[in-house]
Amino acid sequence: MVNTQYTITTTPKYNFPPNAMDNTLPQRFIELSIHSLKQVQNQSFQLNQQTIQQKSQEQLYALQLIPPIQPIPLNPKLEPPTTIAAVDTSSIKLGETAQGIIIAVRGTTIWKKAKNYAYLRVGPFIFHITEENLREVYNTLLKAYFREQNPQASPSFMQIPMRMANLLEKWLQTSLAKTVHDGLILFDGSLTAGTADTPTQQLKEILATARSMGNTVLAFTKATTLRFNGCLLTDAFPTHKPPCLIEVANLKPKPPLSLLGSVYVAKLAKGNYAFRLDIDREVPSPQRIEAVEKLLGNDLIMHGYPETLRLAHILCTFTANEVIAMQHFIQHRYRLKIINRPDMHRLLFGPFGKGESHSEAV
Amino acid sequence: MKLYKKEGNIIQILSFPNETIEKGDYLLIEDAEAQKALIAQVIDVQFANIPGVLEELLRSLPDGGGIIQGEDIDPLEIAPHITYIQDSRLLICKIRATVEDEALTPSSSWLPSRSQSTIRKLPIYTLLKLAKVNGNLPIMLGGTKESSLLTIDASSLDGRLNIVTGKKETGKSHLSKLLITSLLQYKAVVVVLDLNGEYTGLGMTSDDKRNAYYNKIHVLTPSQNFKVALKQLHLNIILNILIHALHLPGTSAREFRRIWQFLKDKGNLTLHELGETIRNWNCNQNVRDALFSRYYALVNSGFFTDNIAEATLLEESLLKAREEGGAIIVNLRNTSSIDRQIVVEYILGKLLELLTSWRLKAVFLFAEEAHLYLRETYWDDIVTRMRHFGIFTTFITNQPDTIRENIYRQADNIFLFNFTNEHDLEVVSRAARVDAETVKSIARDLPPHHCLVLGKVVRDFPIVVKVRALDVKTMGETRLFFVGETAKDKS
Repeated sequence: MVNTQYTITTTPKYNFPPNAMDNTLPQRFIELSIHSLKQVQNQSFQLNQQTIQQKSQEQLYALQLIPPIQPIPLNPKLEPPTTIAAVDTSSIKLGETAQGIIIAVRGTTIWKKAKNYAYLRVGPFIFHITEENLREVYNTLLKAYFREQNPQASPSFMQIPMRMANLLEKWLQTSLAKTVHDGLILFDGSLTAGTADTPTQQLKEILATARSMGNTVLAFTKATTLRFNGCLLTDAFPTHKPPCLIEVANLKPKPPLSLLGSVYVAKLAKGNYAFRLDIDREVPSPQRIEAVEKLLGNDLIMHGYPETLRLAHILCTFTANEVIAMQHFIQHRYRLKIINRPDMHRLLFGPFGKGESHSEAV
Repeated sequence: MKLYKKEGNIIQILSFPNETIEKGDYLLIEDAEAQKALIAQVIDVQFANIPGVLEELLRSLPDGGGIIQGEDIDPLEIAPHITYIQDSRLLICKIRATVEDEALTPSSSWLPSRSQSTIRKLPIYTLLKLAKVNGNLPIMLGGTKESSLLTIDASSLDGRLNIVTGKKETGKSHLSKLLITSLLQYKAVVVVLDLNGEYTGLGMTSDDKRNAYYNKIHVLTPSQNFKVALKQLHLNIILNILIHALHLPGTSAREFRRIWQFLKDKGNLTLHELGETIRNWNCNQNVRDALFSRYYALVNSGFFTDNIAEATLLEESLLKAREEGGAIIVNLRNTSSIDRQIVVEYILGKLLELLTSWRLKAVFLFAEEAHLYLRETYWDDIVTRMRHFGIFTTFITNQPDTIRENIYRQADNIFLFNFTNEHDLEVVSRAARVDAETVKSIARDLPPHHCLVLGKVVRDFPIVVKVRALDVKTMGETRLFFVGETAKDKS
């Protein structure tokens, strides 16, 4: 048997932000990735027929909204120049083996200082997840990066890609919170905690670390399910002129969920684009408004959404080409035989089957 | 390489960056189970349509066109795989033949297995061996891309109609010289209608020394060392000259026939007597005027003489060449358009006369820019009638649209140099022995001195060859204005 020795380099220091992230690469991610893949050699491999990128949905919870107060007008604040940083991660299922699934996760941090954007992209990490190792892989990573946290109930097979991505995202958020100072850190999603993938304590710590470094965390939700008077929250205030914030007070999440941010509807640019914006609620109210004004003054806002966060999303998303490349990688490195089982949707329902047709590489 | 698609006789093959395949290369697609293989030629190399490539390219330029700076921590080293996939190519190939039991058939009616077939590059020398492109009379054309030699058989030019075409300064005349000298080695009789005097130095080396062909090259310059006496002319030839080159109307031609017969009977066929007879001939004044104007055209051409000693006999040169081979170079460089037509009419008439009477076996005729001197009706004659008499023509032109479509259809061999103009390629692609896609795709990218050989000489396997160098004196070079000026300035 030939044992392959993989070069697991200890990570170079990040070259940006200026104070350089002092964390090393997620070493355990790499180790687990390789370890899990080694167990899959010479097996047959069914390509994923649903190549939709898995991304978590916003958690639904009960709320009671009171009529909103007047919109808060915003004036873009260019001074002092502020670093804007953002994090996003992505996960994808690459295919199935006889024992489990093969997934890939990747994360990106991006920051803007002065007029320049720079990024750090970590991954892809490819994992072979089986019923046997699911719990081990997840909890090992959880322990490695969030020691204080109690091991969660293991996610299901379906949830695992998102949950792994979530772990990476939390690690990247922590790293940014520790290294950026006096800046704005943008998260994708909300500041709702108490869910399986966002334990309250974990998010609290991240926010506290960010605050200790003089940062403000702003979380943008692209599609909210919150409603006001029957309307989606983000569609409820068409008459308010941007840029403005509308504070959504008195939200009462159903336990164990908790809101660690103050929720706003952010209309940052013309064109009726509104987003749910959560801002760290421990930050004093005027400072929260100022943070958004700094964002307007220091980042490009396209369709009411910060460019930094948009780039973070773009850079971490897996393209079809990358998916093929990763499949090529595991096929060659681990001698997996790709099999092309017929798509059951297509087989049963013909043109009415909405599953993706046979994967055609070219 | 992987077999991807087949539509008609076009096969698409997926090729990866570590496989160096270029346009013009041959591939062997072997199906072990079927015990057959397809020979396909790459006619185009494209990027494979990989899903997600557009997104990949777009996201590398999200910052208003500037490349976003960043660092990728890629612990599993997936990036080379991404590049590998991104750079994969699609080879558009034309099926040329099927190999079964080491024999070639032009069939493409079967389909090799997509999953089991193995695809490999077929070296040109192996292909030539398989196709039996060799013979007893080898003509070495030059080297292929793989540095193997391309040798054709002189007999594949025998009885054939050939076209050498390509844009200016790509090496057409050079190849023609190579073919002529190679034919001379096999004692062939060659007549060259040399429009720009390019072939007059064929008997000399580049440093002005006599080469091996010196004694076989006969340069005839009309109205200088190439004149004919009326006495040597057959009535049909002079009538062809008058009717086709000088456009003499039918009524006047009939009168001329009578005058000619009258003078011949008297044994007085001279230019002077011809003029006098026309003057005194009892005929309509308009006919007389018509005859006079043609008579003066003949006199002014300087090609006709009454002095038998001065008249170089084309016939003599041809009969001399018959024994040991030889090339008669008809230098038309300083000859006017009308005079060129007169000379060519005479030569073709004479050749037909000699061939019909079997005094000559066959002649290889090389005609440069033939549209400038060949009359309309000869085009059809050349591809039909004259071939049977033993005139095997090679047309050389940089304006492919000047050659009639039916010539392309009937052409047996085409030596195609670079063309970039779509219209020119369109014209050449009408040739029956080749498909339009091959011509358009490969000829466009041919470097100078590289020639795509099509037709019987290569057993219908189009092959790109770099024409070998030839040590003959270059003649007929373009006269330049600035060369002397620059030299003067420098001095």
